[in-house]
Amino acid sequence: MAGQTDPHISLFSPEEVEFMGEDELVEIVPNMNMEPLNFIAGDFGRFVPQIPTQVPLWLAVALKRRGKCTFRPPQWLSVDNLTQILEAEREPQSKFQPLPFSYVEIARLLFDHARDDIPDMYMVRSLVEDIRDVRLHKLENNLGSFQGTSAVKMDNVSAMEVNLVRPFARRALEAFYKHDKPEADTADRDTRSSRQPREANNEPRRPLRQR
Amino acid sequence: MAKYYDIDDILIEEEFAPVIFHKPVNGVTIDPSAETSCVEQGAKVELPFWLAHELHLRQAVSINLPACFDQKTRLEIQADAACVDLRSRCPYFYEFGCKLQPLVTDRTIGILLSTAFKIRYKERLTKVFTATHLTASKFLPFLTKEETNLYEAAHLSMTTFRKWRTGGPRFQRASILGRKRKES
Repeated sequence: MAGQTDPHISLFSPEEVEFMGEDELVEIVPNMNMEPLNFIAGDFGRFVPQIPTQVPLWLAVALKRRGKCTFRPPQWLSVDNLTQILEAEREPQSKFQPLPFSYVEIARLLFDHARDDIPDMYMVRSLVEDIRDVRLHKLENNLGSFQGTSAVKMDNVSAMEVNLVRPFARRALEAFYKHDKPEADTADRDTRSSRQPREANNEPRRPLRQR
Repeated sequence: MAKYYDIDDILIEEEFAPVIFHKPVNGVTIDPSAETSCVEQGAKVELPFWLAHELHLRQAVSINLPACFDQKTRLEIQADAACVDLRSRCPYFYEFGCKLQPLVTDRTIGILLSTAFKIRYKERLTKVFTATHLTASKFLPFLTKEETNLYEAAHLSMTTFRKWRTGGPRFQRASILGRKRKES
């Protein structure tokens, strides 16, 4: 994978994950007039005061820092919705609840730059933190259920969570694979090893290899 | 050969394995304190794995199980694999076992390794993400090299994530920007 800080353990740094999360679209309400912006990813705008428009998160943050817009917090980032999700996550044996793929990063950027645009900001923030902790625990339990090399299915895990467990899970699965493999071909190896000495006895003694 | 430059692989092959010589060998100094420089047939010697492996290929020796896979360790692993101090037995317990497996007559070693790893993985390693470093440091000295690598991988990603979450400098200044232009 290109762009990783440390390709050796195949881990994106959280900053890199955040950078990728900044491509998500958010809704802003501009307070200035501006022509449409033409990017490789698409055209955004035009910007008219009080007319909401969709822009990538990074652009929204840049505009916000200059005081040119206000955020419309996304639907899922409301106290009601988050309370529901948190309760569903806390159910024992429950699956991961559907959340935006980069919810951790979006929430973080919004809390950093758009405090005044989020209603019940402190409540929302602590809910997001709780949800993240519960999901991390759940993820850990799921990792514990690895039983050798089988397909592992986990739905709705977000980008940051995947990135957190990636090096660990990869190495663990590699180790499982290594230990499972010999068991699978035990029979095959038995025949091979019993055959080996016989062949060796028939042939004349091999001289040591010259080095 | 694929891992020729891998330091871990080299160290694994340095581990000693007891062998029995099938043929008398002349002109070798395996034991520096021996009176003669020859090894008799049937002699039991401890050789590093790389040497034992080559001699085994030439049918000169047969390899026995090293002490770290003895009956006592097996019983301990059966009792509670998560609490066995494998590092003091052999820091490369799993890899060494995997390398020995095709060469020894004992067929149970593969199952021993995989069950030991499964239990230890479940009990110890999956706790890494939420456990504090303090509780982890209690079992850290018991882990083999491979397990330590796993632990480090998880711990590293967790620390960088925590660092990111608590903030810090959001924008880093390129080192070249701070410098003043040289006066000429």
